[in-house]
Amino acid sequence: MVLPLLIVGVSIIVFALTRIGGSPIGIYLSHEMNAEEVAELEERFHLNDPVPVQYYYWASGVLTGDLGWSGVAAAPVTDVFPNKLAATMELAVASAIVAVALGVGLGTFAGARRDRAPDHITRVVAISGAAMPLFWFAILMLIVFWVGLGWFPIGRSDPEIFASIAHPTGLYTVDAILAGSWTAFRDAFWHLVLPAVTLGYGATAIIARMMRSSLVEELQEDYVDAARAKGLAERLVLRRHARRNALIPTVTVIGLSFGFLLQGTVVAEIIFRWPGLGRWMADSVLRGDQATIMAYVLFTSVLFLFVNLVVDVIYAYLDRRVVLGS
Amino acid sequence: MAVSEAPPTALAPASESALRVRMRRAGELTGNVLSNPTTLAGLIIITAMIGMALLAPWITTPNTPNPTQMPRDWGAIAVPPGSPGHPLGTTNTGGDVLYGVIWGARISLRLSLIVVSVTVAVGIAVGSLAGYRGGRVDEILMRIVDVFLSIPELIFALAIAAVLGPSFRNIILALAVVFWVKYARIMRAQVIHVKQNEYVDAARVIGDSSWRIFRKDVLPNSITPVIVQATLDMGNIVLVGATLSFIGLAEAGLAEWGVLVSEGQAGISAGRWWASTFPGLMVFLWALAFNLLGDGLRDVLDPRTEASR
Repeated sequence: MVLPLLIVGVSIIVFALTRIGGSPIGIYLSHEMNAEEVAELEERFHLNDPVPVQYYYWASGVLTGDLGWSGVAAAPVTDVFPNKLAATMELAVASAIVAVALGVGLGTFAGARRDRAPDHITRVVAISGAAMPLFWFAILMLIVFWVGLGWFPIGRSDPEIFASIAHPTGLYTVDAILAGSWTAFRDAFWHLVLPAVTLGYGATAIIARMMRSSLVEELQEDYVDAARAKGLAERLVLRRHARRNALIPTVTVIGLSFGFLLQGTVVAEIIFRWPGLGRWMADSVLRGDQATIMAYVLFTSVLFLFVNLVVDVIYAYLDRRVVLGS
Repeated sequence: MAVSEAPPTALAPASESALRVRMRRAGELTGNVLSNPTTLAGLIIITAMIGMALLAPWITTPNTPNPTQMPRDWGAIAVPPGSPGHPLGTTNTGGDVLYGVIWGARISLRLSLIVVSVTVAVGIAVGSLAGYRGGRVDEILMRIVDVFLSIPELIFALAIAAVLGPSFRNIILALAVVFWVKYARIMRAQVIHVKQNEYVDAARVIGDSSWRIFRKDVLPNSITPVIVQATLDMGNIVLVGATLSFIGLAEAGLAEWGVLVSEGQAGISAGRWWASTFPGLMVFLWALAFNLLGDGLRDVLDPRTEASR
């Protein structure tokens, strides 16, 4: 299997970055320390050992859940991580739902009406989506829907409503459902809409574009003519035959666009003041919080790799011509 | 398969006619590219942007001593577009938005040219070596490429720039480290494909050296997708670079689009939309234009994909 090898490779890059960016014990040092205490720290972090040995200690630390101390959060990285992760996952999953639904829908709509107005509009959406700076688009959305129209709030929840229910999962919409509170659910959902749609735009464009072109291709196949010849309604030809096959190549793009979403959370969380991993990462970048940066890179890369693995498996399942492991 | 139609130079020593063929083909290609309205639109935007970038010192009064720093007009803080002396308004700290828009083009042009030329050179070298040599070398190089591709682009660049410390120069460096891998992969696939052609065997039979075959036959016939990708990346690099500087990895006060959008962010809740909107629009147009041109080039240079669009 290639996957473990890739994960080891990524971990080596991350480790190398920790050594390039100044001393890994920098965060634990203070002016009051004497030379002896510094030497003790160096000993504890194995800085006097050869680099491969240092890597071994670092990697076994990571595997046992020791990701170091986050200066930004003023706590061990592993303590803060789950909570922030829940916030980011709620946002990313909501965006993914938006992107897949809109992308497949738009792509189908356009592909079935090739070279007519809906097709041209979708093409504009698709091309502009690839070129759209998320940081700018998000600010425009804020200018229109938050400042201008005042339809949507900013942040993740209303503090009073937040305090009114328990939060066992950290996913506020799920927590609200578990608590059976309609007010809390509406609040969580309302806060989620604008960032999720904004973040999902880029991925929507990628998916719509792929869906459209593969649908156009499928519609030229013989089986479509056969379906039409036997008198099947065009709607059914589209829904039962062409769209199903067109979804196969689209699945791979959905996997890729998940990476796009993951990256986007950094920017979206800054602008929408969403207290997730992405904003923590951005703060850490600006304040040189190495432990958090490295944990974040490691985590997103491994997640990205797993998502792509899952996509490969789904692809093989959908397209029987692909044989895994060859 | 327009690519393999190019005359095998080893067999056609009459260099003048070969040159004429190439010129004619270049003329045809240009005609094809320009006949597509969206590609043409992209080209026009690019021309305008590059013109603006090159003429920046003449169409604005360069800030002294450092023209890449925003000039501050402390007498006109956060004035709206259309104010005297500030056609696009100013930021919360009196920075002229128009100045930033124009000099931002210059900085973006420099950024994308540096990163694209470095990454294309490295990518071609690595990809050709892997594809042309094959075997062990190929395997090792491609595993390294795979590892680089496992880390999402923006996050990788963010981490590198963060580790190196915040400055625009480090953003350039970080993007160069991240962006070469795609070219290596594209180039390798092309070289493996092209070296199976008969004209390569022919050149070998004639007794051409391995290096000469590579330079004269393999490289020119493999380069097309690299050119397309480089065009797209001229846009993408500015997009990612501006994102990094928006997050705060460039020097404060730099006359760069991402920095300006970030500066303007503070004013939006007070209704001051202009300081973020105009510089961000420039990033969008820049990336859009190169995307349109890249797409157009791909259609013309690589007709195989045309059917599907």
